[in-house]
Amino acid sequence: MPLDPSPNPTSPLIARSLTKRYGDVTALDALDLEVRRGELFCLLGANGAGKTTTINLFLGFLAPSAGDAMVCGRVVRPDDPATRRHLAYIPETVMLYRQLSGLENLEYFTALATGVSPERDALMALLQTAGLPPDKARQPVGGYSKGMRQKVGIAIAMARNAEALLLDEPTSGLDPRASNEFSALLDLLRGQGAAILMATHDLFRAKESGTRIGIMRQGRLVDQMEAASVGHAELEQRYLSHITA
Amino acid sequence: MASPVWRIARKELVEQARDGRVRLTSLLLVALLAVAFLAGRQQQQSIRQEHQAAQQAMRNFWVNQGAKNPHSAAHYGLWVFKPVPPLALFDAGVNAYTGVTTYLEAHRQNDFSRRPAMDQPSVVRMAGWSAAAILQLLVPLLIILLAFPAFAGEREAGTLRQLLALGVPMRTLLAGKALGIAALLTLVLGPATLLGAAALAGSSGQTDSPRVLGLALTYGAYFALVLLVSLIVSARSGTSRRALLVLLSAWAITSLMLPRAMGDLARWLHPTPSAEQFQATLTRDIANGLDGHDPADVRAKAVERRALAHYGVTSLDSLPVNFDAIRMQASEEHANTVFDHHFGSLYDRYRAQNALVQAAGIWAPLLAVRSLSMALAGSDIEQHRHFAAAAEAYRRGLIAWTNAYLRDHTRTGAWDWKAPPSVWRDYPPFDYAVPPVGQMLGPQRRALLVLGGWLIVALLLFLRTPTPRLE
Repeated sequence: MPLDPSPNPTSPLIARSLTKRYGDVTALDALDLEVRRGELFCLLGANGAGKTTTINLFLGFLAPSAGDAMVCGRVVRPDDPATRRHLAYIPETVMLYRQLSGLENLEYFTALATGVSPERDALMALLQTAGLPPDKARQPVGGYSKGMRQKVGIAIAMARNAEALLLDEPTSGLDPRASNEFSALLDLLRGQGAAILMATHDLFRAKESGTRIGIMRQGRLVDQMEAASVGHAELEQRYLSHITA
Repeated sequence: MASPVWRIARKELVEQARDGRVRLTSLLLVALLAVAFLAGRQQQQSIRQEHQAAQQAMRNFWVNQGAKNPHSAAHYGLWVFKPVPPLALFDAGVNAYTGVTTYLEAHRQNDFSRRPAMDQPSVVRMAGWSAAAILQLLVPLLIILLAFPAFAGEREAGTLRQLLALGVPMRTLLAGKALGIAALLTLVLGPATLLGAAALAGSSGQTDSPRVLGLALTYGAYFALVLLVSLIVSARSGTSRRALLVLLSAWAITSLMLPRAMGDLARWLHPTPSAEQFQATLTRDIANGLDGHDPADVRAKAVERRALAHYGVTSLDSLPVNFDAIRMQASEEHANTVFDHHFGSLYDRYRAQNALVQAAGIWAPLLAVRSLSMALAGSDIEQHRHFAAAAEAYRRGLIAWTNAYLRDHTRTGAWDWKAPPSVWRDYPPFDYAVPPVGQMLGPQRRALLVLGGWLIVALLLFLRTPTPRLE
């Protein structure tokens, strides 16, 4: 399913001196970041490094203490949900309505996001593309594994034609095969022009799937690199050097 | 293309309908309502038939009592029965406690007797819930159970984050959830309402459409109020457990504790005398006058003077009419002023109690709903008062008629004289007309204001409900 052409030629995700403080604690410190179309930017960092805070600021769930988060050229404000319409969000575990089937969940979220009634056949095709068999797609989500839920989450993102994706440790807890399938789906979305920002602890997945990698420490983006320019060993070395510094 | 509000509503409806707990609770509620309606209809039909038969028997007895002194007939008296309003099968109101019949006789305004509540052992009283009690107490509980997780539960489950990440505005979410739960309630209560309508149509009484509409609006407003408050609490609570605790506490306080406490307070502030005290006061004031300085012998002398002057004679023996009848009628009229004063005062106290309870709806809106429900069903104290006034007017007319007949057809001292058997049918039977609903809603102004005020405030707060914090 192709993406709609964006009216905004700039990078869909931009952070300008983005800062978030809780009292004396600085959760995010003057982050400058751009995620371009067709790019998967992986944010690495220990717990509390500021990865999830960055995502929450882009979603507008938090108000920045300073700086701006911009989505498709528009500054994100917590009281203005308009920027969220350009975004798809996949958390560590995609939470769905247990009494509804995967197909019904997809239909519901897609309709709310796009404002149009999606065709069921097209949604079923998306679920199949995401790797969910048709028989499972019609069963209540209450019986789904985490991997199956993540696939529905991806299908929601695909159905929405979102210009930017925010992923918060989406492969955490997935088995290697499911994780690999998930990465393949991200490649598909990236190939369609989506800008993807993914917070992860998974160095291997970041190297294999990402186009750029950033390392965060104590709220600051302390290092960034092209994924293709580093090997697994070097990435691990640089990551550890920042984390343990 | 369906609007987002409708989509959310449909999802809520489907999700709740698939929940086995919701289905079971709803089924129980419908079953309870069905039993309440059917039992109410059966009881109402039985009472109505008994009353009609008894009323007819009384009339037959009156008409066929044979040759008798009119004053003896007045003393023999007759019973009248309060008609059961059709909607009493929905809300029995105070009927169970006010009595259904009163004895009309000379010299006395009797209180009502045969209170249905006296026929029920205490253990049965709770089991005999009316449909109104179920709507007032259990339906709000169902609404709370449906609505408490609407936001708090979604936040805990993580789906609220997903929803908000889509850019769905909070008002859309609020409206969709309210509509979805309201639709489910309509589905649950719809069959019960149809059953109630069938029970009503099957009963022999006349159904007053404005009253039915008024009841539908009253309960609709109350359920909407409970739903709005439940959603507000859910959106503002950190956890669903906390939301449930707050809502259940509010339900217990406003539906169980405050109504009882306000009833006790009203009785304390506006006490009514015991039946024994009341009767003793009536006897005393009839004997000595309301001011205590108007004894019967003085009054009798005054009546005598007026009668002699009226007929232009100097002695009672010269009167062309029966002075005993004139004296008895004067005595009746004196007693009537005492009855009017004390019964009026008694009903005014009931009205003051009701006014206080209605005003207490500011803290517990259920009190306002109860008051309106009874008034619309025709089973409140005001409608009892209306019937009591009609019965008393009939009694006074009857006694005045017997005294006038005796006065005009006999001379003083003719106690053994008997009126011909055909005379009794000249006095018409008691025919009570139920007052129109508009007339009975007058005393419900406070209740209407309180319920309307609650609804407006809840709606404003609902519209101003902030997006729940996710962090």
